[in-house]
Amino acid sequence: MKYEKPTINKVDFAMSSKYGSPVKTQKIRTKIDGISVNELTKKFGTPLFIFSEREIEDKYNTLYEAFSSRYPDVEFGWSYKTNYLNEICKIFHKLGSCAEVVSEFEYQKARALGIEGKDIIFNGPYKPKEDLKIAVKEGAKIHIDHLFEINDLEEIADELDMKIPVAIRVNMDTGVYPQWSRFGFNYDNGEAYEAVQRINEGGKLYLTGLHTHIGTFMLDANAYAIATTKLMKLKEQVESAFGYEIEYIDLGGGFASKSNLKGIYQSAEVIVPTADDYAEAITNAIYDNNKSDKLPKLYLETGRHLIDEAGYLLTTVWGYKRFPDGKKGYILDAGVNVLYTSTWYNFNIELDKRYEGENEPSMLNGPLCMNIDIIEENLMLPPLDRGSVLTISPVGAYNYTQAMQFIRYKPAVVLIDKSGNPRVIKEVDDLETVNYKER
Amino acid sequence: MSSYKELVDNIIKPYSAILFLDNKIAGVLIILVTFFNSSVAISGVVAIVATFVFAKAIGFKGEYFSEGFYIYNSLLVGMGIGFLFTPSLTSMVLIVISAIFTFALSFMLNRLFSNYKIPILSLPFSMVTMFIYLASLKYSSLYSSLINNTTLYDIHFNSSLYYFFKSLGTIFFLPNAIVGILLFLIVIYFSRILAIMMLIGFYFGVLIHSFLVGSFIQALTNPYTFNYIIVATALCGIFLLPTLRNLFIALVGVAISVVLVDAISILFNYYSIPVFTLPFNITVITFIFLLSMLYYKEFNYNIKSTPEESLSSYLSSIFRFGTNMIKISLPFSGEWSVYQAFDGEWTHKGKYKYAYDFIKIKNGKSYKNDGLMLSDYYAFGESILSPVSGYVVDARDDLVDNIIGEVDRVNNWGNYIIIKSDFGFFVEISHIMQNSLMVKIGDYIKLNQVIAKCGNSGYSPEPHIHIQVQELGVINAFTKEFLFSEYYIEDRLFFNSLPQTGEVIKSIIINKSIYSRLIFILDDEFIFDLYKDDKISGEYSFCVKMDSKGEFYFEDMEKNRLYFYTDITMFYFYNYIGEDSYLKKLFVLMPRLPFMYNKNIKFIDFIPVDLVNNKIKTMVIELLSIVNKNYYKVDKEFIFDGNKIVSKEGSVELSRDKKGFDKIEYQNIKLIRR
Repeated sequence: MKYEKPTINKVDFAMSSKYGSPVKTQKIRTKIDGISVNELTKKFGTPLFIFSEREIEDKYNTLYEAFSSRYPDVEFGWSYKTNYLNEICKIFHKLGSCAEVVSEFEYQKARALGIEGKDIIFNGPYKPKEDLKIAVKEGAKIHIDHLFEINDLEEIADELDMKIPVAIRVNMDTGVYPQWSRFGFNYDNGEAYEAVQRINEGGKLYLTGLHTHIGTFMLDANAYAIATTKLMKLKEQVESAFGYEIEYIDLGGGFASKSNLKGIYQSAEVIVPTADDYAEAITNAIYDNNKSDKLPKLYLETGRHLIDEAGYLLTTVWGYKRFPDGKKGYILDAGVNVLYTSTWYNFNIELDKRYEGENEPSMLNGPLCMNIDIIEENLMLPPLDRGSVLTISPVGAYNYTQAMQFIRYKPAVVLIDKSGNPRVIKEVDDLETVNYKER
Repeated sequence: MSSYKELVDNIIKPYSAILFLDNKIAGVLIILVTFFNSSVAISGVVAIVATFVFAKAIGFKGEYFSEGFYIYNSLLVGMGIGFLFTPSLTSMVLIVISAIFTFALSFMLNRLFSNYKIPILSLPFSMVTMFIYLASLKYSSLYSSLINNTTLYDIHFNSSLYYFFKSLGTIFFLPNAIVGILLFLIVIYFSRILAIMMLIGFYFGVLIHSFLVGSFIQALTNPYTFNYIIVATALCGIFLLPTLRNLFIALVGVAISVVLVDAISILFNYYSIPVFTLPFNITVITFIFLLSMLYYKEFNYNIKSTPEESLSSYLSSIFRFGTNMIKISLPFSGEWSVYQAFDGEWTHKGKYKYAYDFIKIKNGKSYKNDGLMLSDYYAFGESILSPVSGYVVDARDDLVDNIIGEVDRVNNWGNYIIIKSDFGFFVEISHIMQNSLMVKIGDYIKLNQVIAKCGNSGYSPEPHIHIQVQELGVINAFTKEFLFSEYYIEDRLFFNSLPQTGEVIKSIIINKSIYSRLIFILDDEFIFDLYKDDKISGEYSFCVKMDSKGEFYFEDMEKNRLYFYTDITMFYFYNYIGEDSYLKKLFVLMPRLPFMYNKNIKFIDFIPVDLVNNKIKTMVIELLSIVNKNYYKVDKEFIFDGNKIVSKEGSVELSRDKKGFDKIEYQNIKLIRR
């Protein structure tokens, strides 16, 4: 063993915490979906995002079966913003998802992947009018966010000389904090009903769906029961008042993944609801509140829950130093530029092999020349060396799409397909990528 | 008006009941046969009428009569007196008195006997006639009208069969071969099994008797041989199912009754009392008491109008719905593996052997990484679903989940929940995750409801779900055998089975949408356009009705009845009464629908033999299945996707947005919902 400068550590009596084994002082991961971590880094370099097709499918099938076994008509809309890498989107479309987009760019991306307009749900507070018109023409499901959009759509209806089927987004109190009230029309104060009234009076649009999205990383399945109940009540109200037939309700997303939110100290297995919890809450509320002969189609726009745990980031130790307070600092080749969600989540950080030596408090820093580039502030790690590889997970949701073109090039992405073959689905950016469109 | 009809019904019924048949036509035919001795016939009718009038006068409820034995004992007593004395005012008075007493005695004995689930048979008749015959020794006026016990006509032929028929007639106090032949023809028409058992009982009894007394003729001419006949039919066909094992029991019973006949006749002859059916009553009541206390599995728990029907109903129910064993659903959703089954190699032993352990396995392992962390285990944190509907009677979730490598030897069961099922038994689930219970003691929970998470508390080396059924609602109670009511492996659905250790099974979640489309309400009507070779050729409709037993059925215009039941996990048909019809075909096309939605799940169901075969072939199969029940198996494969059920016979499509069926299709026939 190599010489290590002596350090003074606080004696930790909580070695065997409730969910940790005393024999397990190092978290080790040698393989991702059966492929050796070292082999992957040797072949593709780091930093490197890895996705496992098998894990995506497992997660999708589990959630889909939890719903489809309980409810006859359910469809998932793949949330493009969560991860819009073409190959990832294709996996979800192949599994039966339609597309859920929130901008003209995402809309175009879905169209480019061959998704027909009718299989695209167009959400979001900002839909440029020209693009909205294209979406209407192509038969996309338009979810109205605010009154201005009703005006826009009515103008489009005149221009195209057609009556447009629409849905509205509804926000509501479901007993969780913070309440997401910025999008759509409020249910509790009657705004949503008034919006439908306004649509009805205009006579140029007709309502076919109701949509809500109650928040993100929802740890209480019951909030969905409340949301579904309110949507079903609104459905009954507008159906009897205006004679609409509401064909579908869309409960949005927000299902949690097995990730550890900062400030929550129980393990994800303990607090994160299971697919059954969510499915039971939503489908029971539909059955209990359905007043019409026909059950509405159910859409879900789950992103994080489906992709987060299937995504890993491999990063290499470039160097280390001892800070004045005695803490060890590691410089990694991946930082907050590619791990946008590190602000909210404590990642699972695993070593590529067993290292000798005592665990000591360590800080993980990225490659940025910025003081904020901290992936983990305080982690017990054995002495690592230059070239040690860390696997950071779960990072499948939002990290790639929100990765910044900042200081370093955006990293490559590898997909391990179902037959166990890793292949690059996105190469590392280069100067040309960055300079593209610059004049 | 209705009371007049009720009287006629109640006069007819007991006649067929004496031969263990439940059929009005048989009753009428037997009444006519009794007129071979008008004294017996008239006395019998008088006894029934007297009983009926008395029962009405004291406000006796009509539905009690339907059980028959309150009246047939009176009928037997009446006929017994008529057999001895020609009708006269005195004899009529005696009949009325004794019939009413028999009725009262029947009621009393029945209330006492029913506590032990045993029938009274003709015991009241045996007791009352004994008294009457004794008493009549003093009534000198009756003796003047003592008749010669003769019937109108008789034939003699030199065969042991002559004595068989005579013996059969004696059951109705008509020791006459013609009567016997007529009765035997009636019996053959309604039940071949009964007829065969009568012959077997008679000849076996005579054989045993001749062996004991050393004279075949003496045994053959014994006036009480009819006891052998009714013992054999009661023990193999009526109270016990017609099976080979029960045939053996019946023969033993017949042998016993031979001895009893001799013993009782010596005692009774001293006082000039005939033996009548006392040997039969003693033998059969003793056997039924013994076997019902043992929960004997070939006991006929659901007595139908003939042994054939009882056997069909029993075989259908064991093939289609398993035995009477406890059935529960799986305590999880999705795909799990059996870690330990009944009589498992580690902990499922002795009084605790009826238990199952389940884990989740991916790529051959129950954990990811090196399996040192609880969170590495696929089962850890998965939802536990209630396997039954019922009340939570006990639960705890305060124990910590053991780290891998340690077990809690003090609290073996760990965190647990005990649910009292709606059907009375208790289900215990162990090793629940700490603080994960979502229900509390006293809550009513429904099948499939998420109740907790899978953990690693108690004596648990790795996170798993342990489930067992208990007779008592306390922890540590002994386990009871049970079956899983439904699960599937790959694309095949299994009902009422037990998966093997290591098998990967998937659970079924009840789909309420399918359920809600199969909840039928009285008078719901379904009208179809009938197409033959794609050309419309009329309409067909059926309607939901309920019979007096509270059983529901579809009834079409021709009054054919298709009985259905909506269970908690499936809808099924279980009985059909009527001629060939589209309803009958519906049973064959869709014997059951599990409330599950999945892509093309295959399953096997068994169709009652008489639905797919003609009458003659059905009779033959029914007889053969006494020897081997596999003759009765008509298995068909069905494929169901949540909306449409398809088999080689045809298909049935559920309506999507309303109750019932949209399309029934087979061969060149199409019924399309209007």
